[in-house]
Amino acid sequence: MNLDSLMLIILIFFPVVAALWIAFSKNADNAYRTALIASLVLLLPALKLLDRFDFAKGDVPQFGYSISWIDSLGLNFSIGMDSISLLLILLSVLLGPIVVAASKSAITKDRRMYYAWLMVLQGAMVGVFAAQDLLLFYICFEFTLLPMFVLIRKFGSTNRVAASIKFFLYTFTGSMLTLAAMVYVVWFVAQPDQFGAWTLDIPTLTKYAWHMSISEQTWVLLGLLAGFAVKVPLFPFHTWLPLAHTEAPTAGSVILAAVLLKLGTYGIYRFAIPLAPEAFFAYAPHIAILSIIGIIYAGLICWVQTDIKKLVAYSSVSHLGFAVLGLAALNVTGFSGSILYMLSHGLSTGGLFLMIGFMYERYHTRDMNTVGGLASKMPIWATFMVFFAMASVGLPGLNGFPSEVLCLISAFQSDAAWTAAGEPGAWGSSLGPWFAVFAGTGMVIAAMYLLYMVGKICFGPLKEPEGHHDHETLPTDLNFREIMTLAPLALGCIYFGLQPTVLFDTVSDQVNATVRIVEQANGLESAEPRIMHDTPAVDDIYSNDNGHEGASHD
Amino acid sequence: MMTASLLNNLLAPLAMLAPGSSGSDEPASAHLAHMTEHVGTGPKWILLIVFLPLLGFVFNAIYAASGNKSKLPAWTTIALLAVAFLATLSMFLSYDGTPYTVHAFDWFNLHYGEKSFVANFSFYIDKLTILWMLFVTGLATLIALYASEYMSHDIGTGYCRFFSAFGLFVFSMSCLVMGDNMLMLYLGWEGVGLCSYLLIGYFYKKPSAVAAAKKAFIVNRIGDLGLALGIYLTFVHFGTVEYAALFSNETLHHYIDAAVAGDFSAIPSEAQWIAMLLMVGAFGKSAQFPLYVWLPDAMEGPTPVSALIHAATMVTAGVYLIARFYPLFLVSENALPIVAWIGTITALLAATIGMAQFDIKRIMAYSTVSQLGYMFAGLGLLSTTGAAFHVLTHAFFKALLFLACGAVMHGFAGQLDLRKLSGVSWMKGWGIVGITMLIGCMNLAGLPYITSGFYSKDMILAEAFVTPGYRLMGWVLVFTAIMTAYYTFRVFFRVFLGDQHAEPGEDFHGDDTNDFHPHAPGWAINTVLITLAACSMLAIALAWIDKSAYHGWVGSMVADSTASFHSPYAVSLAAAHGEGNPAAVAGPVGYGAPGKVLGMDPHGGMIVVSGLGAIFGVLVAAFFHGPKGWQGLFLGGRTQADKCRMDAIAKRAGPIPRWAENKWFVDEFYAMVFVTPLRVVSHIFHWIDKLLLDGLVNLFGFLPRVLAWIIRPSQSGVLQGYAVSMAGGLAVLLLVVIVIVLRAGGAA
Repeated sequence: MNLDSLMLIILIFFPVVAALWIAFSKNADNAYRTALIASLVLLLPALKLLDRFDFAKGDVPQFGYSISWIDSLGLNFSIGMDSISLLLILLSVLLGPIVVAASKSAITKDRRMYYAWLMVLQGAMVGVFAAQDLLLFYICFEFTLLPMFVLIRKFGSTNRVAASIKFFLYTFTGSMLTLAAMVYVVWFVAQPDQFGAWTLDIPTLTKYAWHMSISEQTWVLLGLLAGFAVKVPLFPFHTWLPLAHTEAPTAGSVILAAVLLKLGTYGIYRFAIPLAPEAFFAYAPHIAILSIIGIIYAGLICWVQTDIKKLVAYSSVSHLGFAVLGLAALNVTGFSGSILYMLSHGLSTGGLFLMIGFMYERYHTRDMNTVGGLASKMPIWATFMVFFAMASVGLPGLNGFPSEVLCLISAFQSDAAWTAAGEPGAWGSSLGPWFAVFAGTGMVIAAMYLLYMVGKICFGPLKEPEGHHDHETLPTDLNFREIMTLAPLALGCIYFGLQPTVLFDTVSDQVNATVRIVEQANGLESAEPRIMHDTPAVDDIYSNDNGHEGASHD
Repeated sequence: MMTASLLNNLLAPLAMLAPGSSGSDEPASAHLAHMTEHVGTGPKWILLIVFLPLLGFVFNAIYAASGNKSKLPAWTTIALLAVAFLATLSMFLSYDGTPYTVHAFDWFNLHYGEKSFVANFSFYIDKLTILWMLFVTGLATLIALYASEYMSHDIGTGYCRFFSAFGLFVFSMSCLVMGDNMLMLYLGWEGVGLCSYLLIGYFYKKPSAVAAAKKAFIVNRIGDLGLALGIYLTFVHFGTVEYAALFSNETLHHYIDAAVAGDFSAIPSEAQWIAMLLMVGAFGKSAQFPLYVWLPDAMEGPTPVSALIHAATMVTAGVYLIARFYPLFLVSENALPIVAWIGTITALLAATIGMAQFDIKRIMAYSTVSQLGYMFAGLGLLSTTGAAFHVLTHAFFKALLFLACGAVMHGFAGQLDLRKLSGVSWMKGWGIVGITMLIGCMNLAGLPYITSGFYSKDMILAEAFVTPGYRLMGWVLVFTAIMTAYYTFRVFFRVFLGDQHAEPGEDFHGDDTNDFHPHAPGWAINTVLITLAACSMLAIALAWIDKSAYHGWVGSMVADSTASFHSPYAVSLAAAHGEGNPAAVAGPVGYGAPGKVLGMDPHGGMIVVSGLGAIFGVLVAAFFHGPKGWQGLFLGGRTQADKCRMDAIAKRAGPIPRWAENKWFVDEFYAMVFVTPLRVVSHIFHWIDKLLLDGLVNLFGFLPRVLAWIIRPSQSGVLQGYAVSMAGGLAVLLLVVIVIVLRAGGAA
């Protein structure tokens, strides 16, 4: 084990240690400070890993470490990270101090329990993205449920019990089927004519899994999607999300939106596509249609919400439709766009949930009919609100735009009949312009509901709930701590909006490798170059030109 | 199909000519190819033009956070914009005829296979860019000066916010105009949309302002969707979104040559769709039918905003878009005729509404929509020069008109109703406003020979009259011009002439004191008004400077750009007038000898018709709205502010004036046909989501819930215990599944 692998292990286990420390400490008053320090300390190994990461080999898992766990099952504790894991781990670790700091005044009871579970969640999230072993991935994947369940169940608002149970059972049930599918893949790869040995190593599995027949792949795909589609969530498996989001405490909502939903898209990208490339290719249009329905359907539902948190929750369903659309396009632009979308959605929607949390702390309501016009009372808050709403709308120059552009272009490109002549990396599945057109209406719908929200909550005459002055904290504008939690997210929005290329370059090798798997499995490499149309030859045009009676070049 | 047949008239013998190129044996795309062949690299100081306004934004934002109260934000903004204008001027003077790009930093660089998707933060300078930037930065500076006084009531509350957004707007507009790729244009396009949103909603406590801001953004977004799809399609089809690569793309050149030969079947339909999609974006931003409804409402914003954004600069972005991508529009069989007809319909429709409004700022708003319609008609008729010239003159005189109206609004506490104001010119200190308003009105009305508005409109109207098949459009536009003269002078006769009378409005700029003092404008407002009036008049010269070029100076600016395509008819006509380079018209002479108008050469006949029409419109306005005596040209009979001869006519006309005043109920129609059904659908979706989808989930969740009930006794208050039992359950379930699956696998 070298020092870099140790850093990665620290990222996973140090939060757990911190959680135990917090849980068993005598004084609950120190819980917040301990959690904040722990999560800030975690930034160091994360940044160290970023520094040490070899971007030239972004498609290879780095900092790998493997130790045999249960030999008889071939089970290893095997971690490592490639460029995509790197980005998502960085996002998770960066969010740590933000959500802890944002909880300071919101959580007043059972602080030890709260911060302990928050820390556990931190470790589990890093574990999911770092896992190079199928079962380790699955365990971490499931293990993220538990802390989130507690956070909602114990620290949520009025309807928290139902929300937590639905959240837990729905996602858990889905992922049982995912497990079954994974096990089938493992069994298949263990066959003598394949790898020939029992293995849970993800790269090895990926190497052989596409040899499965199309019907096997279809079943595997369905199984995998059962878990991941619920997690994303893809229409129509999204109904747990608005409830869970609405009831969760602010930190829970932020982590749920920013990271946990990404487990779904990450799972699709990491497992569903490489393990069942032919089936995914065949069903890509169906998946894309579901994602487009989600974009429009959830977007329109947002538009008629009065509960601001529910509005933002549904907007996640709508937004992540773009990410799934990019995945379903199965080409380089689509994958890059989708991965970028995972990160940028984390920043902007995470920011929106923080904003709502800060407002809720002050007014104890999420109803936009009782509170509104806050720009005149809290100008800094309103400025951030407009900013994150615009980032969410996909304003160019901010983070939402590059990813949205790429996801839509990828849908255009992925119809071979339209693509400029057989470009490797751009073929993708068979979506086409209409997919882009319908998904594109999401742009308009997003503007409709987000401006509706901003128009109600920030602008118009000031509206405050009756008797809110009775609470101890008088509504004042954001304090320094709150601004400091928002600032990194806002800076991230601007940075990714202006420098998306940094991210494209980071994930480029990984994405190209995945596209190659898809193309190889579907025989696209050997396919004839596809010409989209009969481009008129130069001579033809000139002969037409000269032959035309009305031509005027005499 | 009507459009198709009209189109054949327009395009079949279309020749693309550039002044100076003899155009005999060369294909039509030759000029474009020559021009984009060697795109150089420009000096870095060009970046100042873009980033100085952004610096203003940043400074004002920081200043706002510091909480100081002074006019400093205004002076900073003015100074930075003035430097940006000077930089633009030196860009113009140092331009040597070769387009060049200036790179700021990398933005999009995505590589796949051997291809790439590249769109950098860089700027593309050719004469079209320079033409636009000259008036954008120039007017922005002037209007910032105006606003320093106009907004002074808001020092300490919204002053910083206003000038922040102002700087951001100029930055975005510069990106839109100067960007060297379609994504930069889109960045600017959405950026100006955001600033427009923020500034329309400047008085954010007013629900109507918030609603108007929202409407503007959303209606524009519909257009933006078209623009975005057009950009994506361009990329997918041509493999690039960078101007230099796109316009030197050989496939595009072949398409153009095919289009000139009238052979549209040689152009794939995807390529033809690009223009149709881009056009939607232009209709949104430039407030064309059916997406024009946001612009009149946008008058909720402070008047300097209306003048700069909603009259002079932002709304001309659609014209710029079409001019910039003119080659893409040429290769689409239906695009240009649709643009021309949409423009004409908009011009007429907006004029009918404008005639019946009482709010002077709204009248100006509808006249903006209407004049933008002229520009689109010009674009569609292959007169990019006419459109660009009209953009320029309109920018001056419409900004002037808005600012003059703004001075009135400022002085009379937000009063905008022309029934409640009269004889403002004669009040103490209002003389300059009166005179400059008169100059603006004359230009908008297009009084013959003495106004720049006449010359720019003339180029467009002439184009319609000389193009076979478009005579009807020409007549509609002339008729609209008469209406324009009428409603423009209706405002002037009622508000600025006659007996002095003024009722203050309700807006005290947030002043709580109820005592109202009408106050005449100060030096800043007057200076700006005089400058703009002078510019409006001097713009006449632009048609005559640089006689060597076809259509004068503006023609020369458009000629060296991607918009340099002329219709053969106009060129042959120009030759007949002895204008332009005879070599340039060698090709198309002999084509479509245009018929006569009222027995005259079509251009000459058109001048007579439209010139007399404008005068007629003014006289009608004088008769119905003019005060008694010489001020009403001895035709008028108005003695009171709110009573005139039109009232009787309006009564006779039944409900029609009321319908026109209510904007033909287009907003209500949209609400009924689009918004309400969509809201209903959204509510239905919401219920489906709650009852059906979630209900199904709950149904499926029934069994696990039973399980949960069984486990419940172990939930003995200690939550960790509950969690641990969950984890235990998880492990057990995992094990069960593994065993089952392994058994199944083994059996298989």
